[in-house]
Amino acid sequence: MTRPSPFSVRGRRALVVMREEREISIVRRQLNRLGMTVAEHDPAEVPPPDENVDVIVMDADSIPIKSDPARAWKVHAPIIALIGTETPSRLKWLLDLQPASFLIKPLRSAGLYTALVVAFDSAQRRIDEAAHLERLEDRIRSRRMVLAAVLQTMRAHDLSEPDAFRLIRQTAMRHRTTVEQLSAEIITTGGMPNRTTRTA
Amino acid sequence: MMAGEMRKSALMAIDEINGSDEFDFTFAAHLRDPGGVVAAYHTACDDLIREEQVDHIVGCYTSASRKQVIPIVERTERLLWHPARYEGFESSDNVIYVGAAPNHNVVPLVRHMLDQIASDVFCIGSNYVWTWETNRVVREIVTSAGGRILAERLLELGETAVDHIVSEIIERKPPAVFNTLVGESSYSFIRALHEATMRAGLAIPMLSCSLCEPELELIGSVASVGCVASSAYFESIEGPANRAFVARWKARHGADSNPCVDGLSTYVCVMLLARAIRRAGSAEVGAVRRAAANHRYDSPQGPVWVDPDNNHCFLTPRLARSVPGCQFKIFWEADAPERPDPYLSNLDLTAVGTRLERSNDAMTKRSNHLRIVK
Repeated sequence: MTRPSPFSVRGRRALVVMREEREISIVRRQLNRLGMTVAEHDPAEVPPPDENVDVIVMDADSIPIKSDPARAWKVHAPIIALIGTETPSRLKWLLDLQPASFLIKPLRSAGLYTALVVAFDSAQRRIDEAAHLERLEDRIRSRRMVLAAVLQTMRAHDLSEPDAFRLIRQTAMRHRTTVEQLSAEIITTGGMPNRTTRTA
Repeated sequence: MMAGEMRKSALMAIDEINGSDEFDFTFAAHLRDPGGVVAAYHTACDDLIREEQVDHIVGCYTSASRKQVIPIVERTERLLWHPARYEGFESSDNVIYVGAAPNHNVVPLVRHMLDQIASDVFCIGSNYVWTWETNRVVREIVTSAGGRILAERLLELGETAVDHIVSEIIERKPPAVFNTLVGESSYSFIRALHEATMRAGLAIPMLSCSLCEPELELIGSVASVGCVASSAYFESIEGPANRAFVARWKARHGADSNPCVDGLSTYVCVMLLARAIRRAGSAEVGAVRRAAANHRYDSPQGPVWVDPDNNHCFLTPRLARSVPGCQFKIFWEADAPERPDPYLSNLDLTAVGTRLERSNDAMTKRSNHLRIVK
């Protein structure tokens, strides 16, 4: 899968969650210049489903902190927060949304493109990091299986623990598989697989 | 109500300056009333600057309105003289903040509560930025002192259906109620709480950092008694400057009329502006800002001056209890005007203290940073 460059924003879809028409018009105009499509959403309403949204431009001041809409904003699309009030109570609410980037009000035409690029980049990094974390967690979960396979190999071949692990690792390399997958096979088949052909 | 009080006070200050030999210039007032409609503040301010060529703007009560005006005064290099207390976390070069910063009103009130009343508190407020931020500060101080926030109830601005919250308070009997409601919500709540506590035979202290004298009248002479309030100004401040101010106020607005903190603060805005112009020899914004810095004015609320580090004012914090007659009796004031700390960066939570002893002996309660007057 080729990932989109954070610098190319044309064709991406923005959801604008803002209250003041003067500021909305600045954002709308700039997003249109960049070739993005723009939808608007009333901050007083609960958030819409976000599958058709690539980025959310949200006026943080437009949503009362302690309200149903405020609690419902747990979305997957990256959020660009527009900040007018820098009080910790407001910022705490914002941090819970994990904004991908932000802009300080009053808005100007400059700055929005940077905020978009940072938002798309950090959203992609977040996806990459989540996938990386998932792989690491998989490996941690399979530690128990590797341990069981090592013990079984020690018994079956009368080997020390380092030798048993070395044998599993070498076999896994020969079979072009991972230690974790081979360990699962050892446990299910009850012994070292007798494959000589390489699984390519 | 506040807008009217602030306008009356600004015009009074302008008339005094125009009638005084101390100033070799006069002020011409250009009035605009956006009527609390947030977007209208931008238009009104733009109009004042473009059409009337105004250099200095006095006004804005809410933070929402101030944030409409700030971009324009910053872009056009004008000065907004802001009279109202607010939640802090702002510091524009083009605003002179004359109202209390949170270290002037919230912090002393919470300290007093922890020292003298209770360490557990029930919070009720209007659902907007001032309450959110004030409650956050209350929570931070209270929990670091080992106390608890028993509840945090919010009402929409203007909401007067308060019975469910009053019932909850009567049922749970918190040792203190911290009230950051504003306007009609607050008056309805205080009346209802007073009635319910009387009926239940309870005495639950209620604290506020916004109540002022004209509001006590609106609440009613009976229900308004006994509230603990924190403010930089009360009508009952002793001293010739305030006594003379109150006399002038009553001569102008009637014997039944009472000045309040937001009105007085607006008066102080105009006076600080006039003194800065006189000192600068010009109304030019840069010169006035420089001249206002550290230039002490002995105002009805005591000495006031602008801290050039953050454009907020040195003010004297005071605590008072409302008494019959819709007045406040001051029971504590700071030794000297306190440096404004809009970001509460000098708030030392370790100094706030430990959990209040569960003892009724007042001598065992800590009060090393509070001085009782009278």
